[in-house]
Amino acid sequence: MLLKAPQEQDFTSRLRGPQVTARIGLWLGICFLTAFVTGLISHFAQDTPGWLTFPTRPVSLYRVTQGLHVISGTAAIPLLLVKLWSVFPKLFERLHLRDVRVLALELFERGSIAVLVSAAIFQLATGLANSSQWYPWSFSFRSTHYAVAWVVIGALLVHIAVKLPLIRTALGGPLDEDPDATSASGGLSRRGLLRTTWLATGVAVLGSAGATVPLLRKVSAFGVRSGDGPQGVPINKSAVAAQVIGPATHPSYTLSLINGAKTTQLSRADLEKMPQTTATLPIACVEGWSASGDWTGVRVSDLLDLIGAPADADIEVESLQPSGGYRVSELQSQFARDPLTLLALGLDGETLSIDHGYPCRIIAPDRPGVLQTKWVAKMTVLA
Amino acid sequence: MSRVAAGPAESIPGSRSRGEALARGVLLAAGVVVGAVGAWKLLQSGLDNILAALRWLVGGLLAHDALLAPVTVVLVVLAARVLPWWMRAPAAAGLVVLGTVTVAAVPVLGRFGALADNPTLLDRNYTAGWLVFAAIVVLAVAVTAWRRRSIGARPDVTAGPDAPAPR
Repeated sequence: MLLKAPQEQDFTSRLRGPQVTARIGLWLGICFLTAFVTGLISHFAQDTPGWLTFPTRPVSLYRVTQGLHVISGTAAIPLLLVKLWSVFPKLFERLHLRDVRVLALELFERGSIAVLVSAAIFQLATGLANSSQWYPWSFSFRSTHYAVAWVVIGALLVHIAVKLPLIRTALGGPLDEDPDATSASGGLSRRGLLRTTWLATGVAVLGSAGATVPLLRKVSAFGVRSGDGPQGVPINKSAVAAQVIGPATHPSYTLSLINGAKTTQLSRADLEKMPQTTATLPIACVEGWSASGDWTGVRVSDLLDLIGAPADADIEVESLQPSGGYRVSELQSQFARDPLTLLALGLDGETLSIDHGYPCRIIAPDRPGVLQTKWVAKMTVLA
Repeated sequence: MSRVAAGPAESIPGSRSRGEALARGVLLAAGVVVGAVGAWKLLQSGLDNILAALRWLVGGLLAHDALLAPVTVVLVVLAARVLPWWMRAPAAAGLVVLGTVTVAAVPVLGRFGALADNPTLLDRNYTAGWLVFAAIVVLAVAVTAWRRRSIGARPDVTAGPDAPAPR
């Protein structure tokens, strides 16, 4: 028996159709837009362009936007899968080869759909893997996830433009033309499918969001982090992985503060003698997890006053780490001079654990965790 | 449904008002520009990076269109043949919830990103969590199916499992 390729009309489920697709698509679009906007915020927080002064308040802004980024991406997974199921027969739709104009339009539309589906799957798959620190690829995650985000949104706008009349008709009309007939075979009705999809989306979100929403810790069976860790805060990079245990625990450790030609050296004991401030600030990682901690240490602005740094100077912070992409970070002046920005010596009333950055680390409000440099060796005033 | 006779009119429907036509034009232009920005950013990342990304872009599409989707279609067709009417809707709902949430949980279930030096990462028993989750779904499906059966409210006994929609 010869197997022939399926055609569009071979798929007979009544559930498929614009009524279901448009309703799921609406929420999928909202999720992708949320992920795009929060992704841009994260991009600008890490790579702040000259024209932007990234705000330092609210202190948990980045925690919320990045949590939302990962939550909206997670919510999009069930939505995308059901939506793709609902339009799967379209893959086998025949092209209109006779009319060149129609054919060109169809090829453009199909091409934009291929880009949209491929880029959407790419974003969700790479984002999901990144949230659990799994990198089974050789491209740069950050720049590629960022570039493809623009591709997805572009293809999505084209898709909405093409389908707008259909979407409006579907959303304006009834979901089930005849609610009784649809479940005649005992299968799901359209309403049933939609409710199931919302349920799956909710479960996917509740099952993972505990990594950033403390209230959900107990129910998030698939959360990347339980929220436990040394001094009640999880870590991203351990002291072992950063290869800092030797220099960080060396008795002759000193912090170098550099302003032009002048260098000031401070030991940890010197830092402990300075006025101490305690601030409750979150560690909010780009991977979407976050946790709040009570950090105690010296105000960075006090250190800057000590070396006579100008109030509007940006500061470069360098770690003891011998290598790594986030060995050096830049504290823009609004962060450097914020009264809540600390060079933390302690966490949760104890001496900072080595995995949290002993002898001292930067903790500033509203910043991505990768910029909260640990095991600080040097702070340099940028001219 | 008229999808069988779908022509370009359904694939690319016409605008019904000037406002709609204008909105579509703006969306289309914005989409092309935003997409071009993304393509430009991707092109700037170097040949090796582009090729590695392309492998994943195409791979993701194939993994869905050539594997996940056909397997789902076959599974649903088989289930519709085997399952009695009172089990169909609950089983379909169970498949959607269990299937999609499991896909979203693949990285934690596989613990692929786990690091020996970082016990705060992937620090739950995900397999146990998944088993509990799956048991809840199966239980919910079973209870709903049993209730449907005992109520016996089948709307139309003559319709087959895969009766096509009226055309």
